[in-house]
Amino acid sequence: MAGISFSEVRHTYRPPRGKPVLALESVSLDVQDREFVALLGPSGCGKSTLLYLLGGFIPVESGAITVGGKPVNGPGRERGIVFQNFALFPWKTVRQNILYGLEKQGMAKVEREKRTQDLVELVHLKGFEDSYPSQLSGGMKQRVAIARTLAVEPEILLMDEPFGALDAQTRALMHEELLAIMRRAPKTVVFVTHDVREAVYLADRVAVMSARPGRIKEIVDTKLKSNARGEELLQTREFNDRVDHLWKLVRDEAIRAQGAHE
Amino acid sequence: MAGMMEPARRESLLTALRVGSGILFFGAWQLTAMSHVFSEFLLPSVPVVAERLWHDLVSGDLVSGIVLTLIRTFIGFALAAVGGIILGVSIARVPLVRWFFDPLVSAGLPMPKVAFLPIFMLWFGVFDTSKILMVAFSSIFPVIVEAWAGTQNIDKYMTWSAMSLGVNRHRFLWEIALPAALPQVFTGLQVALPIALIVDIVCEMQMGGEGMGGSIMTDMRFADSPGVFAYIVAIAIVGMVLVKAMEITRRRLLLWHQETQTA
Amino acid sequence: MSRTLTLETAARRGSLIPLSTRLARALIRGLPLILVAAGWQIAPSVGLISPEALPPLSAVATAWWGLLMDGSLASNGVSSLWEVTAGLGLSIVVGIGAGVLMAWYAPVDAIVSPLMKSLYPMPKSALIPVMILWFGLGAGSKIASIFAGCLLPVVLSSYNGARGVDQSLVWSAMGLGASRRRVLWEVVIPGALPEIMAGIRNALAISFILMVAAEFLVGQNGLGYLISFLGDGGVYDAMFAGVLTVAAFGFFADRVYLLLMQRMLRWRE
Repeated sequence: MAGISFSEVRHTYRPPRGKPVLALESVSLDVQDREFVALLGPSGCGKSTLLYLLGGFIPVESGAITVGGKPVNGPGRERGIVFQNFALFPWKTVRQNILYGLEKQGMAKVEREKRTQDLVELVHLKGFEDSYPSQLSGGMKQRVAIARTLAVEPEILLMDEPFGALDAQTRALMHEELLAIMRRAPKTVVFVTHDVREAVYLADRVAVMSARPGRIKEIVDTKLKSNARGEELLQTREFNDRVDHLWKLVRDEAIRAQGAHE
Repeated sequence: MAGMMEPARRESLLTALRVGSGILFFGAWQLTAMSHVFSEFLLPSVPVVAERLWHDLVSGDLVSGIVLTLIRTFIGFALAAVGGIILGVSIARVPLVRWFFDPLVSAGLPMPKVAFLPIFMLWFGVFDTSKILMVAFSSIFPVIVEAWAGTQNIDKYMTWSAMSLGVNRHRFLWEIALPAALPQVFTGLQVALPIALIVDIVCEMQMGGEGMGGSIMTDMRFADSPGVFAYIVAIAIVGMVLVKAMEITRRRLLLWHQETQTA
Repeated sequence: MSRTLTLETAARRGSLIPLSTRLARALIRGLPLILVAAGWQIAPSVGLISPEALPPLSAVATAWWGLLMDGSLASNGVSSLWEVTAGLGLSIVVGIGAGVLMAWYAPVDAIVSPLMKSLYPMPKSALIPVMILWFGLGAGSKIASIFAGCLLPVVLSSYNGARGVDQSLVWSAMGLGASRRRVLWEVVIPGALPEIMAGIRNALAISFILMVAAEFLVGQNGLGYLISFLGDGGVYDAMFAGVLTVAAFGFFADRVYLLLMQRMLRWRE
């Protein structure tokens, strides 16, 4: 079971020089096993911080985060993460990047080669196994990053604006690929984004966060009844109503965030 | 990023360590000297060296040494700066100049220029001219290379904008190319100044003629170890001040540059 | 995609261009060097410059051959090479270790980095007299000068490189199950490598300056000693030959290192 629970999480960001900033203020949220939840909010609202806390990369100072009932204490293999900047090891080829986590697991050589090959095919990168990340396009890099994370079979996928650096067409393709992969092997997903349409399209539920200090402002159910996919779905009334609703929520926060800065 | 100490306490502890590092350095020096693991000759104690510094300062020897060294360094550096910028910009903008100097510069840049010191002694003697020219010759290469690269790599959209706004060729150099290349030119100067100081000190050590390099060598020949250590401290401080001064100048000069904004 | 890339790089490197064209281009590119060499030969020969001040290139070449034959180039070259290798090698090992540890452990950083940053601009040549005081007039003081002078550039570049490694790379490795120690070896050091290697290139240049300067001052052997000995004795054609040898030595050391660097950092494209 890989349900996630945030309760009363508070976090203060302390820059090396300068005043501490309250980044998150009492965030509570429950994510069910195999649920796809998007965290949506204006930039600087602390949504990525929340994800890093869940990842165990920064320590929880106040409140509690549990995964499957156990408190988070440091990074763990059951929580795989995909970053916006891909975070591929630039000195490793596509194959070596995907192999890295499998080597850490101590998987036998034959088996991990086989698994790597499967993943390369899953993300449509056959023929690029021996390329370095610097030789790939943005969309290809992100596919490698996803394959690398999927390789160790995490129960939970943490995605930090994974498609934010891609152009619109590539992003749409990546959405379809991600959904296809999720259908094949469902996982619990926490997906950080500031793109409203992306959130509605991908997620079962969208948690809208307020401007700094971040709180959960509203949780919107985005499991759509329509069976339509792709372009068709984007045309449906149901989809657009949800987008409109979320857009208004986010816009208010973005305006507030800007007011606070000026 | 290490342990999980409470962040605020951790921060203040680190600040204390940072402030304490200087004290720690001189403390460790003094303790080692007092332990007599090394003789008084090999490692004079901190008070002995401090006293010697004070003595040389009061007698005026130290000041005249610093002034002599700085004058030679600065004149040589100024020649390198002016010559390097002119040459670098010409290489970037005039194909014939580029054709002639490209191989010479790429051969000269990685060469150890100090090796030419005996030639400079042969041509210009052992006095100021020879030291200054040696300093200029050693420190000109980084200036040329950075001025060249800086002028060559000007953003083409900026060039196009300037041209469509009606700038003429002559004005372009002064109003667009040089300001745009300035950050990189300054980087070249920042590399060149420490080289100038290093080479001037080598020249003084080898050719004599006072200055800090000459004096430290004299003290060494007389096995006057407090004197050697006093000059090392003085030279280190001079180096520190020069580098800091360059950094401050850079910040003032490049107020418009993004590096100044993020700092 | 990768195929078009290799084609482009091949074209840029000129392997698709006919040999004769490439030769002609190399000749045009190298012509200024040939002109300088010709000037060097002709000016003293026709009396434009006194041959005392600038022996003609041919005389320098003959003198060089003499130095090669009587073994003085080899014996002094070997001791110079040994000093640079030992001093620089030691500073690389110690410097990378210290720099990476500083970047990785905050308390070490807090104590050491302010010291490093204030000592860094120290004019390295001033270290030579202290090293002579400590280690005497043998190879020891020269190696120690080179070590001390090269240490800080390597430390600082490793430190900056290690600190500059993208946080998300470290987190990715940890998320994939790497321990902190493994992350240090497998992510931080490779990630810092471009900057470390640039720092070592810097140190290589410094090591040559210090080698030559120390050999000028501590006269017994080494190419620097050979040059200043010949200069003091008034054997100028041989002195010029010595200077050119050291200059070429430094030049080729840098070129070889550059090739190594490009090879090791191929992944950067």
